[in-house]
Amino acid sequence: MDWSHAPAVWLILLPFVASGLAAIWPRRWHPGYVMTGTGALGLAVLGWWAPGLLDGEVVRWQHAWMPALGLDFSLYIDGLAALFALLVFGIGILVAIYARYYMPAHYPLKRFYTLMLAFMGAMLGIVMAGNVIQLVFFWELTSLVSFLLIGYWHQGESARDAARTALIVTGGGGLCLLGGALLLGHIVGSYDLGAILASGDTIRNSPLYEVTLVLILLGALSKSAQFPFHFWLPQAMSAPTPVSAYLHSATMVKAGVFLLLRFWPVLAGTDAWFWGVGTAGLVSLLLGAWIATFQQDLKAILAYSTISHLGLIMMMVGFGSTLGVVAALFHVINHATFKASLFMAAGAIDHEAGTRDLRRLGGLRRLMPITATLALISGAAMAGVPLLNGFLSKEMFFAVTLGSDYGTWVDTGVVLFAVLAAGLSVAYSLRLLVGTFFGPVSLDSPRSPGEPPRWMRVPIALLSLLCLLVGILPARVVGPVLHAAAAAVLGAELPVYSLQLWHGFTWPLVMSIAAFASGCVFYVVTRSYLAEREATAWIAPVSARRVFEWVMVMLTETLPRWQQAVFPARHLQVQLRVLFGMAAGVAALVLVQFAWQVPAPGRIDVGLAVLWLVGSGCAIGAARQAKFHRMTALMLSGGAGLAVAITFVWLSAPDLAATQLLVESVTTVLLLLGLRWLPKRIPGLVRSSPRTRRRRLGDFLIASVAGGGMGMLAYLAMLHPLPDAVSRFFIENALPGGGGRNVVNVILVDFRSFDTLGEITVLAIVALSIYGVLRRFRPANESLGTPHLRLQAKGGDPAMRPAHPGATLPGFMAVPARLVLLVSPFALLFAVHLLVRGHNLPGGGFVAGLAVTLVLIVLCMARGVRWVEARVRVAPLRWIAFGWLLALATGTGAMLLGRPFLTSWHGSGTLPVLGTWHFASALFFDLGVFAVVVGVATLILIALAHQSVRAPIGVVRHDDTEPT
Amino acid sequence: MNALQQLPSWAAVLVAGLALMSAVLAFSGSLGLLRFRAFYQRAHAPTLGTTAGVACMVGAVVLCFSLLQDGLAVRALLIGVLLLVTAPIGLLLVVRAALARDHLAGTPGIPPWDDDLEE
Repeated sequence: MDWSHAPAVWLILLPFVASGLAAIWPRRWHPGYVMTGTGALGLAVLGWWAPGLLDGEVVRWQHAWMPALGLDFSLYIDGLAALFALLVFGIGILVAIYARYYMPAHYPLKRFYTLMLAFMGAMLGIVMAGNVIQLVFFWELTSLVSFLLIGYWHQGESARDAARTALIVTGGGGLCLLGGALLLGHIVGSYDLGAILASGDTIRNSPLYEVTLVLILLGALSKSAQFPFHFWLPQAMSAPTPVSAYLHSATMVKAGVFLLLRFWPVLAGTDAWFWGVGTAGLVSLLLGAWIATFQQDLKAILAYSTISHLGLIMMMVGFGSTLGVVAALFHVINHATFKASLFMAAGAIDHEAGTRDLRRLGGLRRLMPITATLALISGAAMAGVPLLNGFLSKEMFFAVTLGSDYGTWVDTGVVLFAVLAAGLSVAYSLRLLVGTFFGPVSLDSPRSPGEPPRWMRVPIALLSLLCLLVGILPARVVGPVLHAAAAAVLGAELPVYSLQLWHGFTWPLVMSIAAFASGCVFYVVTRSYLAEREATAWIAPVSARRVFEWVMVMLTETLPRWQQAVFPARHLQVQLRVLFGMAAGVAALVLVQFAWQVPAPGRIDVGLAVLWLVGSGCAIGAARQAKFHRMTALMLSGGAGLAVAITFVWLSAPDLAATQLLVESVTTVLLLLGLRWLPKRIPGLVRSSPRTRRRRLGDFLIASVAGGGMGMLAYLAMLHPLPDAVSRFFIENALPGGGGRNVVNVILVDFRSFDTLGEITVLAIVALSIYGVLRRFRPANESLGTPHLRLQAKGGDPAMRPAHPGATLPGFMAVPARLVLLVSPFALLFAVHLLVRGHNLPGGGFVAGLAVTLVLIVLCMARGVRWVEARVRVAPLRWIAFGWLLALATGTGAMLLGRPFLTSWHGSGTLPVLGTWHFASALFFDLGVFAVVVGVATLILIALAHQSVRAPIGVVRHDDTEPT
Repeated sequence: MNALQQLPSWAAVLVAGLALMSAVLAFSGSLGLLRFRAFYQRAHAPTLGTTAGVACMVGAVVLCFSLLQDGLAVRALLIGVLLLVTAPIGLLLVVRAALARDHLAGTPGIPPWDDDLEE
């Protein structure tokens, strides 16, 4: 069966590739073609597989992803997956065609189609997943794309709210599902779907079964907008109508149903299953139908009806009977066809009439006869009129409820509720259809309606035709697909069911007639009452949406406020004290064990000891001066840093020493730039009272304990005999394995290059965040004024005034600036030297990057930021992007050559002038590190330096008068 | 210490002398920084180490490694040159700053701020 397996991975990649394509699609062509083409290709692949799939074969494809964790990327396509894939592609094509004419050309169409295609891929990922973790991943992806699509018109507040609600509910459900999937994997011992499906008894008998079931149910119910999570779906109707038709009626909301059907063989059949799934389904069925009856907005009616119909499907799944599964699958198909068609029709009406309000619509039958006919067919299918598909699945649903055997009152109740809900669905369908298409022509609509463009009707027509075909020739049209899907869920034990229009005069038929009649009567009786009604009767005060909002306010407002009131944290010092206190406590617990066996130090190196005395003196001095003499403190901490750098030299670690030296310089300069914006000392504010002294004593104690503890820890760690650790491997393999004599560098760019890649990624993110924060930062008012020295010179000495804000003083810098210019080329050359030789001698990308940064910093200090920016093209973001991509490409290059990610290659060759040249591919990686470091440091530097150039918002810089 | 034993004795004496000289110069510079009274005097003292002291040390290094290794070891000269270029920057900035302070404070006996810019 190998012939059929290779395209599986292409099938899942196809929508994502198309999504990227749609994003860069040329303006000349409509991006809708991409989606139509993708759907068509997907359908073709499914058609190619059809013979095998209909025979019950499973298309599988597997690729080791994280074998150490037992995670494979695997695809598992059986009849069930194929049925849902068919919906995804089929409805996808129709929606793409529809949206082509529905969405005006001046909308951001590329974004729309990019997201729609991404959704297509994510949804396919769910249905084709052969691994439960993978399934959860794609599950969350659909939530995310749905969030972006609901918020398509993000200018509107309601759209943003709706998007957020949907994301919180479905994303939260996804997290629960992840928990469920992990538990499943824990019970079975594998995340592979095949293995899980084969161990149903193990799972059902496991003590964790209930927890697993609840978690998975939370995921499924939230995604399928089932009670009590149903409220997000009606809100999500602020998405464009094609999105509602595709995601929120035909496919995504059915993911929950898919999930339950997928795990049906291993989870179903217990009482917990029946009560959990069945109750949620029943409540949603009734609640959705009841609320739908009271809506005035076409899309709201359809949304609540979707909740109701999904509830019906859930209920059938919940029964645990095999016929229930068949009926559920059948209704999934039918609901997708008629509901998508109705959504599109509602969109067409909105498009033409400019409103979706039932009170402002009427008589459209005369103005748009073709659309009216099509909508009537789909609407009748929703109501369950014979000769249409809805009738058949509803009959099957009645048959399932009649087969219920959970005790007398449950059985009777289920049958009654089923008829009641079916009657309500007849009523709201009638309201929808009669209110829109019949009666006098409404003159209230904002636009004068007419037939929509032909191609907008074609998708509706195709779906309506399908409703008819399935309704009349069910066995011929959907029989094989339904059979394959049901067989995939149920295995060999398929129930006896017949797809026929006429089964004879049976109980289900009686129930159908009763529902239809009661619905009609209900409609006629309440018609005028409902036309005026704004809120749903009886349940309007208890809205799930309000509960959700209350919970959200609770979590984001009330609780934090309460917490703030209980733990006052206006001062950072309080939090720091708590934090350090706790750390010290924990550390003490650990250190106490060692206290009696502290090894005595061996020989004391006098030179090093003196150096450390000086360094410690600097550090203590820095701490002492930190409060009132920040500049002094900064200089002293620089001294401590230098002592550390010299220590590294002393201990033969030139690499570390160079890095430390450069880091120290860069940090000091950046801190100096920041000092300017710290608040000034307010003279006379702090009096030395006993209380202050007590507090200081406490702080001193905490500092001593924390510092002493750290020192102790380091001391113990260093005197602890080293086990035969990995360091020996590094030292022995650096040259033969990594092709470099500088072990530190080989570790960074070769042995541990994956870590380094992660580190530079973090570095880039941090730099971007700092830039983002500082971009909007304006200094506090009290530090706005000109530095006092400059202020004293004001009016007196023109030489003390810079030419423009941010420039250096003219007399000050004349000589240093020229000297700096003289040295900087050599410094840059030295940086390149450090980079190239890094693999064998002290140096490397990190140090080299810092060296380049230092050159820029010195230039900025000597000539001013403006001068540098005007002459040196610094594009930090490009540096970061280039470096990161280069590092990544180096890693991927190894993969292209069939080696694992980030494998390095080294060898030597002879170059013309330069002689023998030892080369390692890790150099490219190091180059990437170098570029990232340069970009990051420059970005932060520029962000800080610009502070002094920029005037605060709304404040005119009054202190620096323009020289005239 | 083995490598140093290969050094001819005349050279060893010379190298040691130069290195010692450098150390003495640097030390006296530091001592001056500590002992002098006025700021402007003190600013001058450490330059002794960065100029003459470095020159002696570079001489010692060049001599020593030229004899120990093949050919003239001139790389150390680069250190001297770069220090020669960069050392004044710090000195100038510090002195300028002090000058500006005194200027603003109106301390008597301070040279004019900048002749060119006074106009």
